[in-house]
Amino acid sequence: MAPGIRLQRTLSRAVVGASDEQQLVYVLLEATPEGLPTQMPKLPLNLCLVIDRSSSMRGERLAQVKEAANRIIDQLGQEDYFGLVVFNDRAEVIAPSQRALNKTELKAAVGRVEAAGGTEMATGMALALQEIQRPMLSRGVSRMLLLTDGRTYGDESRCVEIARRAQSRGAGLIALGVGNEWNEDLLETMTASENSRARYISSASDVAAVFAEEVQRMHAVFAQRVRIQLAARPGGLVRALDQVRPFIAPVAIAEESDLVWGANLGDWTGHEAQSFLLELVLPPLALGEHAVAKLTLRYSMPSAGTQLQQIEDVVRLRAVPPAQAGYQVDGTVKHWLERLMAYRLQSSAWQAAESGRIEEATKRLKMASTRLFDAGEVALARTVEEEATRLLRSGVASEEGRKRIKFGTRGLLGGATEERETGSS
Amino acid sequence: MIICENCQSRQFDGAIFCLECGANLQPRRDPTRPLPQGKSAGATPNLRPAVTTTARSGASITLVVLTTRQRITLDASEELLIGREDAAHSIHPDIDLGEHGGYDAGVSRRHAILAYRNGEYSVEDLGSANGTFVNGKRLEPHAVARLSSGDELACGTLPLRIELP
Repeated sequence: MAPGIRLQRTLSRAVVGASDEQQLVYVLLEATPEGLPTQMPKLPLNLCLVIDRSSSMRGERLAQVKEAANRIIDQLGQEDYFGLVVFNDRAEVIAPSQRALNKTELKAAVGRVEAAGGTEMATGMALALQEIQRPMLSRGVSRMLLLTDGRTYGDESRCVEIARRAQSRGAGLIALGVGNEWNEDLLETMTASENSRARYISSASDVAAVFAEEVQRMHAVFAQRVRIQLAARPGGLVRALDQVRPFIAPVAIAEESDLVWGANLGDWTGHEAQSFLLELVLPPLALGEHAVAKLTLRYSMPSAGTQLQQIEDVVRLRAVPPAQAGYQVDGTVKHWLERLMAYRLQSSAWQAAESGRIEEATKRLKMASTRLFDAGEVALARTVEEEATRLLRSGVASEEGRKRIKFGTRGLLGGATEERETGSS
Repeated sequence: MIICENCQSRQFDGAIFCLECGANLQPRRDPTRPLPQGKSAGATPNLRPAVTTTARSGASITLVVLTTRQRITLDASEELLIGREDAAHSIHPDIDLGEHGGYDAGVSRRHAILAYRNGEYSVEDLGSANGTFVNGKRLEPHAVARLSSGDELACGTLPLRIELP
């Protein structure tokens, strides 16, 4: 079998009522690699660590980070590039981007990092972007791995700008926040693009495991520059596209030409499920079978040469007399939609809280909690409920609660990720 | 077009959750469902006063709604109907989960019977649309399961904890 991506599609309802009104159908798209050689050729990795060494990192935190950096160096192969940038009030390049050949020397450089001073992230990010563009890689995976435990002041918009520049050049950003003092809104904004993610590490002792996991993930990329295109029928439209696995993230989708929507989905990792939830508005439908959308996935597969691969899929459904349509919806689709709703609700709750609409924020958090309970995420649902109560009583949510909810609803919490079974097959 | 019962916004047919407020939009799952045969329908009017008229016997039962942490304490009674109030059809359950998000959680109007006999509590599913679960295990329609303190009872997806004195 030629290697490629297999796409499985599940509709919330495969049978709808004929109607002269528009109606909504949800489509769950689940992508898995197939026909991959068991021993995947590893793509060269181009990694630059950007480490916060402000005084709050002193002690346990910096020690754990150094340990984690050393473990990354151990994980790297001869083809991989490694660079290290540190920042406090200023930034410096500790190890210029280089092949990970002399590991002892690289580790010695890591060992010399000391904690002091304040936090000014943008300069560190700028230097890292400089370093990551040094190697001339014709193919490979480029990522900046940022770790911080504090807030940067006054240069937030510059941080986002640098992140976007990196992402547009194919270098994703993995942003890790340690402890409870960092600015989760900033890390979330910086990583709201393909090949990027933010994670919350509550305990410094998890840093090494998270670093190792991220490097492993970069090494396991099997498809690159994945791009989706969706063509709807006249009268229909694509309302939204969200990634739901491996973690929840809205996808920036745009109508590129009349009735054709497109979005970049970045690089995909072989050992992770990739699922997306599409909200498709159907045009008025008469009785009978209908092709309601065409979906095209284009990607390159480094293990199968450089040419672009493509798969197409036509979404079809049947319209029956409304009385026969029924209300049953697919359980797996509903589960992921429920999780997605919880994420959206908490996100709009924080916006409401920010603009002083506390009651509205509380209401949204409570609804998020209901959605999570229904989705079986009981522990997280309780956390959301507690924060809602705290918010209503005191007008503010706790730093930790906010982070737990923000990252928890996306499935990006804590140390090493565990693959959660959801009852979907 | 659907109107969201929670926030009155207009939503597309086929929407599962309201885009505005996040409420579950799925229609009542049991409006036209034939009521289970047997005692539930006829028994309801007799059940209703049971809560208030039965003398405290010391065997009261508390249901803790885990989604809201609200507690419903009831005196022991031979049979209590768990469901959702529907005045239009004269359905007045003793335990009205409609007030506790039961609609969203898929609680049927006549969902289950909570019975107290020979010093023991049990629950019987009344062929509810979305099921009755005891400690995560779904009861067959009309099957009876014994309840002990600390058990988790779920009607549809609404979780309740049983507390006995």
